[in-house]
Amino acid sequence: MNGPDVTWYLAVAGVLFATGALGVLLRRSPLIVLLSLEIMLNGANLALIAFARQQGDLDGQIFALAVMAVAASEVVVGLGLIVAMARRRLVLDVDELTTLRG
Amino acid sequence: MLTTALILVPLAGALVVWLLPWSRFAAGSIALLVSLVEVGLWVTALAGFDFGESGLQDGARASWFSDLEVSYHVGLYGFSLWLVGLTVVAMAAAIGYGLWAGRERARTYFGLMLFLTGAVVGVFTAQDLLLFYAFFEGMLIPLYALIGVWGGRRRQAATIKFVIYTVAGSLLMLVSIIVFGLSQGTFDLVDSGTSDSPWLFLGFAAAFAIKAPLFPLHGWLPDAYRESPPEVAAVLSGVVSKAAVYGLLRIAIAKFPEPADDFRFTILVLAAVGLVYGSFLAFRAPDIRGVIAYSSLAQMGLITLGLFAGNSSGLNGAVLMSVVHGLVSTTLFLLAGGIERRASTGELASLGGMGRGRPLLATMLMTVGVIALAVPGSAAFAGEFLILAGVFDQGWLWAVIGAAAIVLAAMYVLRLISAVLHERDGSAVPREALDLRPAELGLLVPLVACLLALSAWPAAVTDRAFSDGDVRTLQAVQRGDGNGSAFLASVVRECGEPRQRYAISGSGSGASHITFVVCREGDDAWTGYAPIEEEEKP
Amino acid sequence: MSIAAWICLLAPLAGALAITLLGELVPRRIAGLVATGSVAIAFAAAVVLFVTVLGRDGEERQELTTAWNWLSVGDLDVGLSLLVDPLSIMMALIVAGVGSLIVAYSIGYMAGDDEERRFFAYMALFVFSMLLLVLAGNFLILLAGWGLVGLSSYLLIGFHHERPSAIAAAKKAFIMNAVGDATMALAFFLLVYETGTLDFVTAFERVDGLSSTVVNLVALGLLGGAVAKSAQIPLHTWLPDAMEGPTPVSALIHAATMVTAGVYLIVRAHPLFEAAPSVQDLAAGLGAVTIVVAGLIALVQTDIKRVIAYSTMSQIGYMFLAAGIGAYANGMFHLMTHAFFKALLFLAAGVVIHALVGEQDMRKMGGLRRLMPRTWIAMLIGGLALVGLPPLSGFFSKDSILASALATGDTYGYVLFAAGLFGALLTGIYTFRMLFIVFTGEPSGFVREHLHTEHGEGPRWMTAPVAVLAALAVVGGAVQIAGIWHPLADFLDSIVAVDRESLALVEPTVTQDWVTSILAVGAGLLGIGVAWLIYGARRVAAPRMVALRNPLERKLYFDELYQTVFYYPAVGIARGWTRFVEGPLIGGSISGVAGATRGLGRGVGQAQTGFLRTYALAIAAGLAVLAMVFVSVR
Repeated sequence: MNGPDVTWYLAVAGVLFATGALGVLLRRSPLIVLLSLEIMLNGANLALIAFARQQGDLDGQIFALAVMAVAASEVVVGLGLIVAMARRRLVLDVDELTTLRG
Repeated sequence: MLTTALILVPLAGALVVWLLPWSRFAAGSIALLVSLVEVGLWVTALAGFDFGESGLQDGARASWFSDLEVSYHVGLYGFSLWLVGLTVVAMAAAIGYGLWAGRERARTYFGLMLFLTGAVVGVFTAQDLLLFYAFFEGMLIPLYALIGVWGGRRRQAATIKFVIYTVAGSLLMLVSIIVFGLSQGTFDLVDSGTSDSPWLFLGFAAAFAIKAPLFPLHGWLPDAYRESPPEVAAVLSGVVSKAAVYGLLRIAIAKFPEPADDFRFTILVLAAVGLVYGSFLAFRAPDIRGVIAYSSLAQMGLITLGLFAGNSSGLNGAVLMSVVHGLVSTTLFLLAGGIERRASTGELASLGGMGRGRPLLATMLMTVGVIALAVPGSAAFAGEFLILAGVFDQGWLWAVIGAAAIVLAAMYVLRLISAVLHERDGSAVPREALDLRPAELGLLVPLVACLLALSAWPAAVTDRAFSDGDVRTLQAVQRGDGNGSAFLASVVRECGEPRQRYAISGSGSGASHITFVVCREGDDAWTGYAPIEEEEKP
Repeated sequence: MSIAAWICLLAPLAGALAITLLGELVPRRIAGLVATGSVAIAFAAAVVLFVTVLGRDGEERQELTTAWNWLSVGDLDVGLSLLVDPLSIMMALIVAGVGSLIVAYSIGYMAGDDEERRFFAYMALFVFSMLLLVLAGNFLILLAGWGLVGLSSYLLIGFHHERPSAIAAAKKAFIMNAVGDATMALAFFLLVYETGTLDFVTAFERVDGLSSTVVNLVALGLLGGAVAKSAQIPLHTWLPDAMEGPTPVSALIHAATMVTAGVYLIVRAHPLFEAAPSVQDLAAGLGAVTIVVAGLIALVQTDIKRVIAYSTMSQIGYMFLAAGIGAYANGMFHLMTHAFFKALLFLAAGVVIHALVGEQDMRKMGGLRRLMPRTWIAMLIGGLALVGLPPLSGFFSKDSILASALATGDTYGYVLFAAGLFGALLTGIYTFRMLFIVFTGEPSGFVREHLHTEHGEGPRWMTAPVAVLAALAVVGGAVQIAGIWHPLADFLDSIVAVDRESLALVEPTVTQDWVTSILAVGAGLLGIGVAWLIYGARRVAAPRMVALRNPLERKLYFDELYQTVFYYPAVGIARGWTRFVEGPLIGGSISGVAGATRGLGRGVGQAQTGFLRTYALAIAAGLAVLAMVFVSVR
């Protein structure tokens, strides 16, 4: 097997995931939140592929493809929402957008 | 086959009425025709019924969920035959009233009434618990629509209250059904044995106590009876409340003998309180519907007294009283509807003097009124006498309370009659208000004729409600103190292939919790018993 | 014989149904004739029964006939059965005989009334109910007749239903009778529980096996019903009010028949009462009290019908007294003669009222003796019979009761005797007070203005029955002359469940008979004399005696007592419960549920902050928890 150990890949995936998570929790612009979400998903993908490599099984890679599809769809919806919000001249700040308060 | 027909004919009629584009009059006439056909079917069932034979008759069975032992199992006992008879007659009168009074959206209305008929008949004939539950809930849907759409001014609130109360009870019952069915291994009422779990009993009892209603779970009663259209109130009071009676008898008492015994005193207290409370409130209710509503509460308390009296006298009285009260209630509500149409109000303070120049109305109201107050000689009195004679076994105080209620009933019925018929013309009574029309008479006279016939011959129902075998079964399973086993042991013969099994837990011969499995073949001969120790308790 | 019994019972019912169902199709006069005819058929059937029974002896005189099984109580089957025995035949003869006379009278009295047909239907229904009561073969059917009689009474008292006073009186009568029904029902429950039967014959056989408490309770329950139905103290307040009904109703129901049902019950159930001697003594005591109290109240009444009503109460007291001491035949004898002369008095009073276009206040009457001579004679005969002067019927019957009281030999019997004697004095006073006020003196202004006697004193339909009853009041006593001949007592010796030689428990000696008669007649004459002094010759003014008068005029405040103890609390309880229990229960329960649900929703809803970051944090936290759990479970 060439290249670094699976562990390193997992470490990178973890760093990506953590970065994304922090971004989701700490940033106020919905666009940045979406971006961070993407980073989290990519981190997960990387972990999946690393494990697939470790197991010698291709199931992880297939799963990663599915995740990519889901990520793409969700980005479409999310960006569409953000564009709609911008068009209505709403403040793009997640702390301000609380209409769904119960 | 006949039983299935009794259920399906009105359901099919409902579909026909709903789906095809009839005019208002045609829809009503078809509905009336179907209900009369239903009465004819019932008469056929009556003629072919063998009252000497115990056990289910006219049965039909088809498997539904075989791995859970749920099946479509219907059939008639003596007492359920009479309750079905009450249903079909009362519904026919109610549909006739709807046709005569004219209802908006006729097709929907008459379809719902027919659907209700089928559902109620299903409740009285279902011998499988899930089927019973389905029909029980099936009663609720048309009632919800009928009250909510065609009712009076405050119908929304009344309907919501009614639905919440009923569904709360039904959900408790559903839990009990599921646990009972799974623990018994079958959901069939004829095949399953008994259980001594108080929680399951309470689940069933709660649902039926709300339906009857039993004090203090009657919060839905006054508003529902006031805001319904008269014929729906008639059906609610006369027929639907008897579903609770049937449920208590067929399921709660028959399947849970020990819990029924444990809770007997509490239930008798609540029933007696309801009887007295309802009578007093009826005495001062300000409108006709209020009087009838609270008197219904009182009578259901009386019937419950009979059910839990623990002997055949009480049971027979309860069945007779159910039939009589059903007919009386229906007649009273239809008359109330007629009076409200003429005077545009049911408030007693605005009524009066309607008997002058209206002999038919006066005679009808008077006749059904004196039967309602159980004047000695009437069928209601026969039922009341049986119930009180039966409950006397449980203690003389119950009979005293019941006797006092007789006086109270006289007070509130006479007040109602005088407030409507006698003294000066009420402010709301127009001079030109007519006497009973031929159509109204056509509805009321058959009901009153049935009541008078029952008054002349109450034994028609009471001698034919429970065959000896059924009574012994119910009696034996009610004696939770262990005497049941002694009783059974006295008529033992060799047991062959058991046809029906009743598991009765009792303490016989010094040991506690020995369960007897009894084999019974058809008539009242018990063909054997075998003690089984440590039978699995549900 | 059973066919005759059924015809006797069902003929009036058929008449009532015919009148009801045919309604406006028959002319009013026909309705009256149908009713009279049906009751007359019942009488004929009763005569047939009587004649048949006379030809038999002893046990052969009792026959039980059952139509079908009416009801089953446990192991007990109650059939729709009729018992024909000398007692029921005697009652049937009285009911149907006097009944047919009174219904015939009504044809004249009610002529022209708008609702005549309804009246006759009710009258026929009443006669049917009363016959059901007296012919019943078991306690339950008797109770059925009992209740239906109460119902007919309600319908007839409230006949003029535009009058609030009539309606109130009708309700009062029904409810007081319902109280009696309830006590009887309780007695029957106990009887079923202890003996397992409600048949007369079987129940009486099993009386010996019962404990004294049980028998006392059963007898007490029956007595309660009897007291209510016969308007004895303390359940008597409904009877004077019942005079709101038309006069024939008062005559038939509240003099001759319904109110005597209590006496019939005690005589019929005599084995039970004899096994409960304290209750039987109570019955006699209540009778004695009623004799005196009712007689006193009658002294101050101004309504002619109410005088006769209180007199009825008083005379039934005599019958209760007789039944209470075991002189059953004497009591029944008085029942029969009382039916004659009391109905006579009511009907004659009805002639007067009819002629005076409905006026019943005696103070407006006077001097009718010359204007209505035949009515005067009739009422005089009735009055003399009531006071008990020989050779009229009341003399023989009343004095035999008093003699029996004397013959019991104990102090209690002497007290009863004294009460009865005092009652005879009072009877003389109030009866002739009424007669003198109404008939003697000069015709009052009212009379001169309103009396219409151009067509005779009354229509033929009214005067003929009065004449017949007058004749019966005169000769009716001949049936039993104390000590000399007693066919009636012999007849009644063979009723159900008599296990001794004679039905009566006491037999007065000839001396006692003579002493009683002299004393009683003397008391009656004394009463007449007092009345003559005050009201006839007007030589002495009626004593004021305000302290005594006021309570008597207020009927000893019984009405007020019952209102306070029963009616107002009932209304109060009903109103209180409606406001304080029902209100919260209906409204509260649902609003409670709704409020609780809303509160729960609000509480849970606090998790919906609307902030995206809160939700994200929640997801992260949840993930962390799951991860820790996963790791630790591993």
